[in-house]
Amino acid sequence: MATKVRLEDVTKVYGNVVAADNITLEVKPGELFTFLGPSGCGKTTTLRIIAGFEAPDKGRVFFDEEDVTFKKPYQRNTAMVFQNYALWPHMTVYDNIAYGLRLRKIPEDEIRKRVKWVLELVRLEGLENRFPLQLSGGQQQRVALARALVVQPRILLLDEPLSNLDAKLRIEMREEVKRIQRELLITTIYVTHDQLEAMSISDRLAVMDKGRVLQVGTPQEIYFKPRSVFVASFIGRSNMFTGKLVERSRAYAKIYIDELGVEVEGVIEDSEPSDKVIAIVRPEDIAVELLGASTSTNNNVLRGVVEFKMFVGEKQELRVKVRDASIVAYAPKNLDLSIGQEVLISFSRNSLRALPYK
Amino acid sequence: MRTYSPRDLIIVGLMLMLLEYMFMQLNLGALQKSTLDLLLFLGALWLAAMLIVEERFDPYRIIYSFSWSFIVVVSITYIFLALALQLSGVARSIVYLLLPLALTALAGLVKVKAVEPLIQGRSIKSSLGRIPISRRLQLSLYRLDRVMIAFIAISLAILVAFLITPVLSIFQYSILTPSGEPWYHNFKVIFSDNLYVRKIFIGEPKPWEFIRRPDGTLELVVTGVNYGVLVNSITNAVIVTVVATALGVLVAFALARYDFYGKTFLRVLAVVPLFVTPFINSYIVKLIFGTGGPISIITEALFGFKVRIESLAGVALAQIMAFYPIVYLNAYSSFISIDPSMEEQAENLGSKSWRLFFTITLPLALPGIAAGSILVLIFSLEDLGAPIVFNEHNLMSYKIYSSLIGEAGVVTPEIAALGVVLIALSVLGFLVIRSYVSMRAYAMVSRGGRWHPRTRKLSVVGHVLIYLLLLPLIVFTALPQIGVILMAFNVMALDRFSINPAGFTTKYVVEAFTGGSPLAADIPMHVRNTLTYAITAVLIATVLSIIIAYVVSRARIKYVVELLDVLATIPIAIPGLVIAIGYYYYLSTLSSWGLEWSRGTPLEGLFIAINPIYGELGFQAWIALITAFVVRRLPYTARSVFAGFQQVHENLEEAALNLGASRLKTISTVILPLIVTNIVSGTLIGFIYTSTEVSTSVTLGAFNKQQAPVTYYMMYIYKAGTTEAYRYAAAVGLLLIAIQLIVVIVVTLVLKQRYAFIGI
Ligand SMILES: Nc1ncnc2c1ncn2[C@@H]1O[C@H](COP(=O)(O)OP(=O)(O)OP(=O)(O)O)[C@@H](O)[C@H]1O
Ligand SMILES: [Mg+2]
Repeated sequence: MATKVRLEDVTKVYGNVVAADNITLEVKPGELFTFLGPSGCGKTTTLRIIAGFEAPDKGRVFFDEEDVTFKKPYQRNTAMVFQNYALWPHMTVYDNIAYGLRLRKIPEDEIRKRVKWVLELVRLEGLENRFPLQLSGGQQQRVALARALVVQPRILLLDEPLSNLDAKLRIEMREEVKRIQRELLITTIYVTHDQLEAMSISDRLAVMDKGRVLQVGTPQEIYFKPRSVFVASFIGRSNMFTGKLVERSRAYAKIYIDELGVEVEGVIEDSEPSDKVIAIVRPEDIAVELLGASTSTNNNVLRGVVEFKMFVGEKQELRVKVRDASIVAYAPKNLDLSIGQEVLISFSRNSLRALPYK
Repeated sequence: MRTYSPRDLIIVGLMLMLLEYMFMQLNLGALQKSTLDLLLFLGALWLAAMLIVEERFDPYRIIYSFSWSFIVVVSITYIFLALALQLSGVARSIVYLLLPLALTALAGLVKVKAVEPLIQGRSIKSSLGRIPISRRLQLSLYRLDRVMIAFIAISLAILVAFLITPVLSIFQYSILTPSGEPWYHNFKVIFSDNLYVRKIFIGEPKPWEFIRRPDGTLELVVTGVNYGVLVNSITNAVIVTVVATALGVLVAFALARYDFYGKTFLRVLAVVPLFVTPFINSYIVKLIFGTGGPISIITEALFGFKVRIESLAGVALAQIMAFYPIVYLNAYSSFISIDPSMEEQAENLGSKSWRLFFTITLPLALPGIAAGSILVLIFSLEDLGAPIVFNEHNLMSYKIYSSLIGEAGVVTPEIAALGVVLIALSVLGFLVIRSYVSMRAYAMVSRGGRWHPRTRKLSVVGHVLIYLLLLPLIVFTALPQIGVILMAFNVMALDRFSINPAGFTTKYVVEAFTGGSPLAADIPMHVRNTLTYAITAVLIATVLSIIIAYVVSRARIKYVVELLDVLATIPIAIPGLVIAIGYYYYLSTLSSWGLEWSRGTPLEGLFIAINPIYGELGFQAWIALITAFVVRRLPYTARSVFAGFQQVHENLEEAALNLGASRLKTISTVILPLIVTNIVSGTLIGFIYTSTEVSTSVTLGAFNKQQAPVTYYMMYIYKAGTTEAYRYAAAVGLLLIAIQLIVVIVVTLVLKQRYAFIGI
């Protein structure tokens, strides 16, 4: 049975930087949970607290119901894959992997079997006797993963394990990590600043900024229902406007958008009328149509002028000027548009989200 | 609001100086004078505080500027010395010139380094809420597991017992004063007595004069001026440092930046003076500058007189020749580690060679050079070889030495006070330079990839200049070591610098090894002593270094780490003679205290064994010597081991902890195998500095001659004055050179470590 991890109010201060600020969350047994955030937001710090390399100044860490806040790293049975892999250069691949097993006093022939098993799992058979410096980056990364997996840890911790690889290998290894995690069903905590990686690999993720966890959810929730401006702007692309809440009914609200000079309808979270808000629409939620050829049933319709267009693969990316705003939207690639042409853009009231202005 | 630049502060200083000058013309009484002094000082202090508090002066203008921070460091040192030595006249007025800048810089440093972080830390802490004491305790305990606690306890215990307490005992003795005198009586003596600071010069020999010998030859005898023990030591150290720095930088620049034929040869030759051959090399310097030396031959041929350099002047020359390679090595590695693109950038902007050197190259290399210079200053202050050989008694080091091994067998509190002054001078200088160097350490950080240092091909004129100036200089400074070898093989005369190849014999070298002649009979015993002590001490020092380096590089407790870091490096700055008096006091006190309650127990023997007062009757010099060696040479091993720890990424260690390895297991299976070359080279370098150690060997060793190391014997021969025996001393010198040569070769070629002189 896989282990559950719970952080309660975890806070860590370095000098005058708050690296982790009152973090409370729960990682479910067997899930792949990601910390996502910009550089310096405290992801590594949080991971190191879970591994036991640091103790939090405040708060507690639980594995299942056991309080491990002040347990030493070597008493926790977690296994970490470091960003720089941290393979020991003076040991062969075999010795690197067998290290944790030898510490556990497992008989040597059992060790041999397990190393063989894990090398197959990470697809590195036959490299046992190489030294780390004789391996490519991707191979080293897999050795690091194997070294962590072979001890069958309660929790697998991965700190930006793919960031040193080239783009193609990164995607391959991403799938590999996901496959192995599914196969072994180990509770896994993954750290990255790459939103695509986080979105594609995670069961759930936490978005962090300046030591705080801003939102926890599935990739879909995070993408389509960002609860703060930071999350919306950090993940994917979005159009943002400033506005005022005019009126709110049960499900939807009327919002006056300053830049567009119109009222639109959208979803809103905890704001009072006349509060300032930030309204967000994702480009892929916007429909672009030629004047007079509108078929969409969207409630919010605006008229604008194409300012800029660019083909990106199977669609074209547009910037449409509406009053003072420049709105990013996508159009089908066969839609015949020219710069300066007038178009209709529209979006449903479900896809506009208004967030408190801060 | 107008903000002020460092230059403005110098202008303010200029005004203060003029003001002070005008006051001095007024014929004031002593009390009025000191009141005015105090007023001027308070004015400068007020100005500094106001500029900093009201943010009208940005401290970073000094911290980030190489030249200004250097000027500030020099100014502070100057002010401190000028006040301590109670200088007068222009030398005193200059204090006022520098005072505003120095005070403002200090105030700024306090603000930036202490006050601001404190305020920021407060506000963060308060937003975090109070952390309960129990939690804080838990946190500290968590950071320190049992092994770390044991390491910290062991290293602190050793350093407290064998470094701090002995040194502090000197402080304690230095304030023992005759009844009725205040506690600072001994210091007052040192700063005012005619012996230490001379004010009366009557019947003084001239610093240099021509003497006609009975045989009709004319001699120029250069001696220097005796200003009193304290002033002599300081002046000598300053002169040696300045000249050695200039020479070292010059040689380093030529060798680092120009390509010419024979460059490798010169590079190797330039470090030859670093091979320590105590006493005998100074003796050869004396011959070089004597009437039978090469200088005299040249001057006689050209101008018709001979030259003889003696006393203080001789000491300074011998020290310059011996110590300038320290600056050379540091400057050389600084020059070649400057990113060439920085210089190219400046050239692009139109900077020409001299300007380039003074505005870009030199400032970037300054931290390395400063680190070398301060070592020269310290080594010069504590050097004993040159004063003994030139028979110069008016130096602090000689005074301490002679009272330690004097017939009376008592070391007066006055000598303890002298030790305190000596240690204060060198430790202060060391700490100032150390913080200066670490503050600008970023300048030396290499940006990733390696580069080829910029070198230029020399023109024909350049070659001629190099061969005419640099080559003779480097060969000349290597002469003492060459002379030692020649003398050991009887190729050189004993009393003049003349070479006689026909005299070649291995007799002296062989006899020194076998003890096969009355004069050499004791040599094998002393060599055995040295080897035993050096090997034991250096092994202990290595283990201690590993422990300390581990704590310093891994424990996350700021104050403990900083304390251990300073304690492990500071012995470089503590003159060996101070350690020697410290041990003398400490061991005899400890012994008499221990004997009292251990009567009749086996411990009694131990307390007798450590007491120098029992001399040959029971004092086991080896215990004191090995301990002193461990402490004195700790920095040499510790730095090397520490460099190793810094190369091992902490993640490598955490990966092991994470997989279930305990701390000790991690250290033994992951860290030590990775830094074994650093450890071995640290041990080897420590070994050569231990086997050539002089100060404690010749003092503590003197209390039981049978157990004294070989350097004691070299001094003994010299003092005994049996010139014939010099050849044996030279043969021992040859042995020491051989040991050092082997170590240097092993370290650089086998272990592939850079053999730079120890940095700070
Ligand atoms: N040992 C430390 N001492 C002082 N400050 C630290 C330490 N470790 C981290 N910090 C600071 O804490 C903050 C968070 O650091 P952390 O390494 O957790 O960020 P991160 O999210 O992992 O960033 P990155 O994506 O760059 O790895 C940073 O501002 C960092 O400077
Ligand atoms: Mg990180």
